[in-house]
Amino acid sequence: MNGSLSRLLPPYPSLFMPKALLSHYRRHPLQLLALAVMILLATMLWTGVSHLTSQARVSLAQSESAVAERQQVVRDDGQALAVEDFVSLRLAGVCVMPWLEVTPEESGNRLVGIDPLAAHCFGADASQAVDQPLDGKPFVDVHFAAGTRARESRLYLLVSDTTKAAELPPDYDLTTFSASPDTGELGASFLLNLEALGVLVLLITALLLRSVYLLGLAQRRDSFALLQRFGVSPMQVQGWLVLEILVLALVCVVPGVWLGRWLAAALGSGFGQALDGLFDIPLYAGQGQGWLTPVLVMLAVVVIACLGDLLLRRFRGRLSLPLPVRAGLAAVLLAVGLVMGWLAPSLLWVFIAVALVFAGAGWLTPAAVVQLAHWRANHSKAPLALWRYRELAVLVRRLTLPLVALQFALAMVLAVQALVTTFESTFDRWLAQRLEAAYYIEVPAGANSPQATEWLTSQQARVTGLQWHRVIRGSAQLAAAGDAREQSVDVFALTPVSSLIRGWTLLEAADRPWEALAAGEGIMINEQLARREKVAVGDRLQLILGDQPRALSVLGVYPDYGRPVGEVLLNGETLPDTFNIRFESLSVTPGEPGIAPITDALEKVWGVQTVALRDNDTVRALATGVFDQTFALTRAMTLLTLTLAASALLMMGWVFFSTRAWYFRLLVVWGLPQREAAAQLLRLALLLTGGIAALALPLGIWLTWVLVHRINPLAFGWSLPMAVYPAFWLELALLSLVIGLSIAALMRRQLGKPAIAPLSANALTGGER
Amino acid sequence: MTEPLLVVRGLSKHFASGNETVSVVEALSFTLGQGQSLALTGRSGSGKSTLLNLLCGLELPDAGTIALRDQVFDADGATARRKAAGWSALRRRHIGVVFQEANLMPALTLLDNVRLRAQLAGRDPANSEDWLTRLDIGELARRYPDQVSGGQRQRAALAMVFAMEPALILADEPTGSLDRHTADEVTRVLFDLQARHGCGLILATHDAELAAGCQQHLDLGHQSDV
Repeated sequence: MNGSLSRLLPPYPSLFMPKALLSHYRRHPLQLLALAVMILLATMLWTGVSHLTSQARVSLAQSESAVAERQQVVRDDGQALAVEDFVSLRLAGVCVMPWLEVTPEESGNRLVGIDPLAAHCFGADASQAVDQPLDGKPFVDVHFAAGTRARESRLYLLVSDTTKAAELPPDYDLTTFSASPDTGELGASFLLNLEALGVLVLLITALLLRSVYLLGLAQRRDSFALLQRFGVSPMQVQGWLVLEILVLALVCVVPGVWLGRWLAAALGSGFGQALDGLFDIPLYAGQGQGWLTPVLVMLAVVVIACLGDLLLRRFRGRLSLPLPVRAGLAAVLLAVGLVMGWLAPSLLWVFIAVALVFAGAGWLTPAAVVQLAHWRANHSKAPLALWRYRELAVLVRRLTLPLVALQFALAMVLAVQALVTTFESTFDRWLAQRLEAAYYIEVPAGANSPQATEWLTSQQARVTGLQWHRVIRGSAQLAAAGDAREQSVDVFALTPVSSLIRGWTLLEAADRPWEALAAGEGIMINEQLARREKVAVGDRLQLILGDQPRALSVLGVYPDYGRPVGEVLLNGETLPDTFNIRFESLSVTPGEPGIAPITDALEKVWGVQTVALRDNDTVRALATGVFDQTFALTRAMTLLTLTLAASALLMMGWVFFSTRAWYFRLLVVWGLPQREAAAQLLRLALLLTGGIAALALPLGIWLTWVLVHRINPLAFGWSLPMAVYPAFWLELALLSLVIGLSIAALMRRQLGKPAIAPLSANALTGGER
Repeated sequence: MTEPLLVVRGLSKHFASGNETVSVVEALSFTLGQGQSLALTGRSGSGKSTLLNLLCGLELPDAGTIALRDQVFDADGATARRKAAGWSALRRRHIGVVFQEANLMPALTLLDNVRLRAQLAGRDPANSEDWLTRLDIGELARRYPDQVSGGQRQRAALAMVFAMEPALILADEPTGSLDRHTADEVTRVLFDLQARHGCGLILATHDAELAAGCQQHLDLGHQSDV
């Protein structure tokens, strides 16, 4: 024995262990490849999602702090601002920050020139915000923007919210600054959901990694036993295994992180455009996570997923519970998670509930399917059906991890698909609400807007298709009943209440709400205000408009898609004269003659050279285009995760079915035609994958519900409508059947081989029951 | 000689090995009478298992004819698909196969294994427990294969074969993995039941003592007519 052992040992004994361990992968190179690809893809997916999300989140925060104080100085005469205005304001001691919007001649991408030195106008926070290197478009130094050959440029002078109109020199006034419509929390909400997606991707890929690794580990058990007989201690084997997986992880994680960052950059361009073009949230270059964090996180995930329980072997005895106890515990976790998800008072508790439900479902699903299979077997009169259900139970036990991973992936895809589709339709409605007219025209400060409305009214009968209304913006104080506190809400006063807005979706409404609004019988409020003040249709809201307290009946509640400020929509004719108008605009759909006759007339009426005009169709087209791209990429990422899970199940299913192939051949030996044996195989594979898809469905629907009805309202105070898409369920069911068919097709080839009996029981590795 | 059960004429089987063709069974002819037993002996690789596979249609011959009861399979005859279908029907109802190991479905109890085999053969599964009792393992009927000894598993395999009431039993080293004592018991049961039910038995074995228990003997090291 000693002699033969010494022959086994290489001349360098220290290499004996790695050689012995790696010999497994020499015999099973595809397994090593699968493990490496799994680590690489897991790292890429998670890094991609989390990098993109953190990058966008940082940008969001920066953007908000940089331009949150949206107050600007304008000329009383309505003329555009020039450098001279900046100089005279500075000389008067007004701290203004130039904001120069430029559309370069060579490219249509808007640049925003800002002066970092003027950031102190906005306090310490803002100075920190603009302390970032201005290397990411659209933000550039004002000097660079001013030197750019521009097709179009416009200067804004921003002041902080604390600046009062009285501090300004004569001929200047204050008004709100808004480069594009404010999304409120729509973008942030989407980012939160992306983050949740990242965590789920990490969980699923960790499960898949574990399943592939444990398969290899099971096959290497005999080698480990042999090594122990040669005197290698279990601790030494474990040490080498940790080293082995660490080296493999390091080799795969680093390119995985690189690929993830590349993926994020690819997605980031679309996402950045979306945020910038629509939400006024620029995506800065060079932001997001560094390299070290994702590498360390993924190394830890790989080691824990692969060797966690091996390293904690001393605790395994205590943790391994009998199946009924485990199933009972899982059911309790699931029930607690579901109740907690329903009642959770805060986001943290909702996330804990999601974790509990996933843990419970992941633990309970295999046990439940095994029990169901046994139950069906016990009630099967035909011995062949009994055998099939017993085989199903064995399969589920052996393929627990990839099956649970597939279940989670299917549930996640269902939820993300529903969420993204809901976001899309919400986004469409939001766009329709914000951009209800074809054009948006700012009324210059000091301009005579009633004169403009008179002119538009005179055109109404003459121009086919002309629709318009004037919007007066200002604030009102909300005096809650029995409460001394006062709260400011935004007022949107419409004159007239045109057909442009009558298509808005209302969450709650009285009879003929628009007609009642036009008649000045009440107001409409946004969802935020209704939720916050617990006001419903028919209630009266105490408002102080100008200096007049009024109790106004609520005619309807409209969705605000996350705008956090309370809003009141009313008929402009009911406004008191003392109401302080902060900003005025016209929303116009010009009809057949186009916008040119209207702008020409308004320029004459207001005595200005040009009117500030926004083409809402262009904004809508841009916004829709870039958001479609972002949504498509989000879907692509979830589908990639699903593909990964499906491939893993396919691979594991194939490997495991191979170990059971003999029992299918035994049926052929017993006289079952090969076609019928293959049919049994097919039924088994379809039962397995179809069953998992069926069990993923309730989990997916629950997850969708949690995302739209619990997480969103708790995080942002508004809820997305809950929508389910049965056509997509069908698609996923078909996909799971395709996986089953693929496993059966691969196995069918093995059935076709000559049915030679195994020489001994050792030749079989699938003799489990 | 009794009425012939199995008639083999000019049976040949070759396998490709690299660029060479290896002849495993060459122009073999023999006849097995109803209720008779035949021992196949020969060193490893001499073609015992291949011959058994040919005799139950799991492999098709390159030349020759096999006639079992009233069915004749000619190497040059029907298409492979038709032959496979014919052999499947024969194996299902008339040919019982016993291997050295892995004769049972691990996910089924011993009783369910016997019931499954009986059902496939078109026999009444209700008698399955009786067969286990006759083989002295009735009390183990509801145990799984991994809960009983190797000898008990082989007895269960024999119970499955007899529950289908076969015309011919093909046994490939059925006691190869058993200790002497258990092997003797299993052999005794096998011969006893085979004689009682009058089915044919072809036994591939290295064991000279076991071979001696058979009425005929074919050494594949020296293939010739029996």
